[in-house]
Amino acid sequence: MFIDVQLASFFTAGAIIVLGIYAALFLDNIIKKIIGLSFITEGVNLFLVTIGYKPGGVVSIFLPGMSREWFVQNSAYPLPYAMVLTSIVIGASTLAVMLGIVIILYKKHSTLSASKVLRDDEETGDAGE
Amino acid sequence: MNPLIPIMVILPICCALLLNLFHNKDKTVKILAIVVGLVLPIIPLVANYGLHYFGGYSPLIMDPGLASEVPSLITGSALNIFHPAITYTFASAQKIFIFILGIVAFFAIFTSLNEIKKPSGVYAFLMFMGTASISAILLSDDIFNLYVFFEIAALTQVGIILCSGVERNYETALKYMLLGNIAAPLLLLGIAILLGLTGNVNITDIIYSLKNGLVDPQNPSFLLAGGLIIFGWLYGSGLPPFHSIKSAVYSKALPHGAALLQAFSVFTFLALGIIIIRIFSYLPLTQWVIIIFSLMAMILGITMAIMQTDFKRIIGYLAVGELGYIGLGLGMGTAFGVTAGLFQAVNEAIITAFLFIGFGTILYKTGISDTRKLGGLLSDNPWVAGLVLMAGFAMAGIPPLNAFQSKLQLVQASIDAGFPELGIIMVILSIITFMTFVKVFYTIYLRPRPQDLKIINETIPKSTIISLVAFLVICLVLGLFPQLVTDNLSQFAQGLI
Repeated sequence: MFIDVQLASFFTAGAIIVLGIYAALFLDNIIKKIIGLSFITEGVNLFLVTIGYKPGGVVSIFLPGMSREWFVQNSAYPLPYAMVLTSIVIGASTLAVMLGIVIILYKKHSTLSASKVLRDDEETGDAGE
Repeated sequence: MNPLIPIMVILPICCALLLNLFHNKDKTVKILAIVVGLVLPIIPLVANYGLHYFGGYSPLIMDPGLASEVPSLITGSALNIFHPAITYTFASAQKIFIFILGIVAFFAIFTSLNEIKKPSGVYAFLMFMGTASISAILLSDDIFNLYVFFEIAALTQVGIILCSGVERNYETALKYMLLGNIAAPLLLLGIAILLGLTGNVNITDIIYSLKNGLVDPQNPSFLLAGGLIIFGWLYGSGLPPFHSIKSAVYSKALPHGAALLQAFSVFTFLALGIIIIRIFSYLPLTQWVIIIFSLMAMILGITMAIMQTDFKRIIGYLAVGELGYIGLGLGMGTAFGVTAGLFQAVNEAIITAFLFIGFGTILYKTGISDTRKLGGLLSDNPWVAGLVLMAGFAMAGIPPLNAFQSKLQLVQASIDAGFPELGIIMVILSIITFMTFVKVFYTIYLRPRPQDLKIINETIPKSTIISLVAFLVICLVLGLFPQLVTDNLSQFAQGLI
């Protein structure tokens, strides 16, 4: 049953990542694209959490009364959780920067359509400084 | 333990934070940035080779005191030799790369502080933060730590574009971030799969697990991890399909910013490329993937450069094309080929910075980067034009400049490795690069000046000219005495192969 939980979690992570990639590539609204990108990041985070999952294990905090041998055999692997925490911080930072840029672009173009805002711009040659 | 190894990352980070704090205090920003910028290339020269274990946590095998307190379940397994904390490796190649990165960073910052009328602490912050990130990427033996600095470097690159004030810079920055936020999580997914398979994120330990049969190297998940890491590598370095956005990024930055951004791309390309070779070299496919993407970068980069009219974009595409030469060297799979590729990387970082800052003088004088609106500028600053000409010659690989040596070595290595076709392609593309440069040089400097061309700044800052002369001297020194770097790079390449 526990393996099923882990497998289900892996499949969910995969589904979230695929959904995110679809939204980021095929939806035209920039905010929806950014939501899709967040899906990708969160899917990867879920994947990492799932890697660290140990059926019947305990949180990897060494408490008084635990023997070292028992703790080594039963604690979950803490590295993926540390990585997820860092990944969440990175995700939040990039999300904040992206949304900040979108606010400025919305004020400039009055639209959130990626095909209009991000249309391929060949150089005008004007430095625009 | 060598304390100077983490200083290579910590110093620019601390300097960046202070510069942000001193924003608007022009004199303080200038003095601090120049002093720290000068120190950056010196540290790798004086540091001893070795490893640095963060927190002092070395492998248990090296710490008998700690090992005696750990259950035998751990000390009796491979965990005894695994690295429990983030480890930085400083060897002969890192010494050269971080030195060159420091040189490019110093001259980019030095130029920016004098070309921009009001030095910005925020802009200098971004330049130092990016330099710290790339130094960490080059030093780290921990693939997750590398990913973290990869993301910080991407954010600083976006910041440098946003600070430029160039038209449509926000649009390009967002486009770069949108693509980056697909590629970077996929890179992390690749790292996560490696972690799941080996229980490790330390590259040396992952390789140990592979070589000692702790992991099945033919596991399909391992191939998937390799594919995802290669995808992140393509994004980070601007290889196809990301060549177009990368050259757009260069063109939306100010020339000194672009000079530094291209160095970031070159060293990210190297760091990730070396990791891919170290971990996945047992797969014959890896060599071909590196060669195919490198060839695509060369052909697409250089042919697209011909079609552009904006000189920043032209240099951007040429820089992408030059990355292909490095990749071909790495992909050949011989010690000589890898040495030549690494030497080409060193040269490219210097030469492209030379070109960006050199052509940046045109932007500074006229405010225009469209070659169709420029002309007849030779008489204004013939010495600067001469320096720009030398930069172009260096990129095309004309003797006695440095790229001549590295490109010659690459051609020789391709013949030695049994890929003479690659040598022919490299020579042809070098000729096209030369033609592209000559066309741009003629258009900007030699043809009659358009009547409506206005000069907005008469005098080019001395700092810019000093930077250009310094780059020319480096190109000449490396061209005449290539063994200054190739000896170190050769040691590293032999260890890698």
